[in-house]
Amino acid sequence: MVPILSVHNISKKYGTIQALNNVSFNVPPGSVFGILGPNGSGKTTLLGILLDILKPQTGSFSWFGREGASESRKQIGSLLETPNFYHYLSAGDNLKITQAISGRGRLTDIDKILETVNLLQRKNSKFSSYSLGMKQRLAIGAALLGSPKILVLDEPTNGLDPVGIAEIRRIIKALATTGVTIIMASHMLDEVEKICTHVAILKKGNLLIAGAVDEVLTNEDIVELSAPNIEYLINVLDGFSGYTSKKIEGNRVQLFFPINTLQLEDLNRYCFEKGITLNHLSIKRKSLETKFLELTNN
Amino acid sequence: MLSLIKIEWLKIKKYPSFWLMLAIVGLTYPGVNLMFHHIYENITQRKDAAGNIAKFLLGNPFSFPDAWHSVAYFSSFFVVVPAIIVIMLISNEYSFKTHRQNIIDGWSRNEFVTSKLLDVLIITMVVTLIYFIVAVTLGFYYSDGMNASRWNEELQYIPLFMLQTFAQLSIAFVLGFLLRKAFIALGIYFFYLIVVENAIKAYLHFKEYTFGKYLPLEISNRLVPRPNFLGRINTESNEAYKRALSEINEYIILTVLLTAAIWWMSYKIYKKKDL
Repeated sequence: MVPILSVHNISKKYGTIQALNNVSFNVPPGSVFGILGPNGSGKTTLLGILLDILKPQTGSFSWFGREGASESRKQIGSLLETPNFYHYLSAGDNLKITQAISGRGRLTDIDKILETVNLLQRKNSKFSSYSLGMKQRLAIGAALLGSPKILVLDEPTNGLDPVGIAEIRRIIKALATTGVTIIMASHMLDEVEKICTHVAILKKGNLLIAGAVDEVLTNEDIVELSAPNIEYLINVLDGFSGYTSKKIEGNRVQLFFPINTLQLEDLNRYCFEKGITLNHLSIKRKSLETKFLELTNN
Repeated sequence: MLSLIKIEWLKIKKYPSFWLMLAIVGLTYPGVNLMFHHIYENITQRKDAAGNIAKFLLGNPFSFPDAWHSVAYFSSFFVVVPAIIVIMLISNEYSFKTHRQNIIDGWSRNEFVTSKLLDVLIITMVVTLIYFIVAVTLGFYYSDGMNASRWNEELQYIPLFMLQTFAQLSIAFVLGFLLRKAFIALGIYFFYLIVVENAIKAYLHFKEYTFGKYLPLEISNRLVPRPNFLGRINTESNEAYKRALSEINEYIILTVLLTAAIWWMSYKIYKKKDL
């Protein structure tokens, strides 16, 4: 399967600052690809390069297997960093320009899009009179215009209120089920975790990891357990084999097992036979947040 | 190309400052010509001998065929007004960051520069049209039958005025393009146009160097030489006027070269830089 986007060894320097260092990855068709990283990790620089508004020092990329032509960009709905529109024009007139340049959608689609992002009533107001959230929604509308097969979204929920965030999340989720490929940069991890099928994590311009969410997140199972007498439980657990490490969190014990090696009932039976009645036993997957902090904090 | 013009039209047609500045062009061009006509009348209506001699020697510079030349010359003083439009149109793109958005939406970088080139061309044509209307109106108004029949002489001043305007607006464009901020670009353009180049010219003239005539705005200024009636009425000034006329072709070449270089450089720069 030809990747929608293929990135090869991209490096970018601003003066002495290495914004991106030899970044390579592929985005498979139909995926929701999250690009994560702390502030200043190079997410926006990377998206800027992919949309040809920044030039990399080295490396290359290809959309649909073709090297960065403007024709490919026309098929990509993009929202990069800030909403960029003509301040003296209305929302409708601004979208006419988006439509004319990209060729995406028709003029008759503009009202529909404005309704989707809840701006139809303000269609004829000047962009300069919009609030931050409205500007952001217009930018999302511009990206969605003409139902592109690929969306590139940089912090799409920036500046939105909770209702707006939920609304955008709903739209993105709905689009993902229709086979649209979505490339999204975000630092809102729960958001990414809820939507994305693939992630790439950047730190100071280096790509730490990239792949399907399941592969990135779950390299171990974590079992959390607790009993009234926690010291005794810890002692007893020393006799149980199979886990790689043990951690005590307040009045709970966490055991880390290689993935898919543990039967919870074995552990429960073992404790019971040693005379311990557990008041808590659960298996949990490492959250993206934990993984993210683990990868980026050292 | 047509689609680029269509998109630029979408940007411009509801931009109030654009229409305001265009209205100012529409007022200043006839205004400055009428003002100079008034000055001319004041000189020639003097009842003494000097007035009569002037009238006899000069003819009315606003009747045909001289109107083409005189109106071109006086109108060109006010190239600063369309220059404001040109600088606004490019610096807007930077301040709204739409110079990035246009690329993100699917223009190539060359198409972006071409769209600005078309803006400058269109403004040049509008300005030339206003010049044409002023020249025709004044020309016929101040011509007697004899002069009116000579309306089609000296039509070369129409393309000369157009080239001059395009060249000087291109310089305004490149300042806005490189400096990004409207007020800085405008400030430098005004200061250069009104003070710096004149000061350099005067200094070089004083030192008797001749390369003052190769300054960026001066070469296109020389496409439309100063009309003879503004000079002293003597042989020396007559000779200088004739020389200026004969040198126009040389300055056409220089102007075309400089303007081509400006646009070529703009394309080159935009192709490589981070937006």
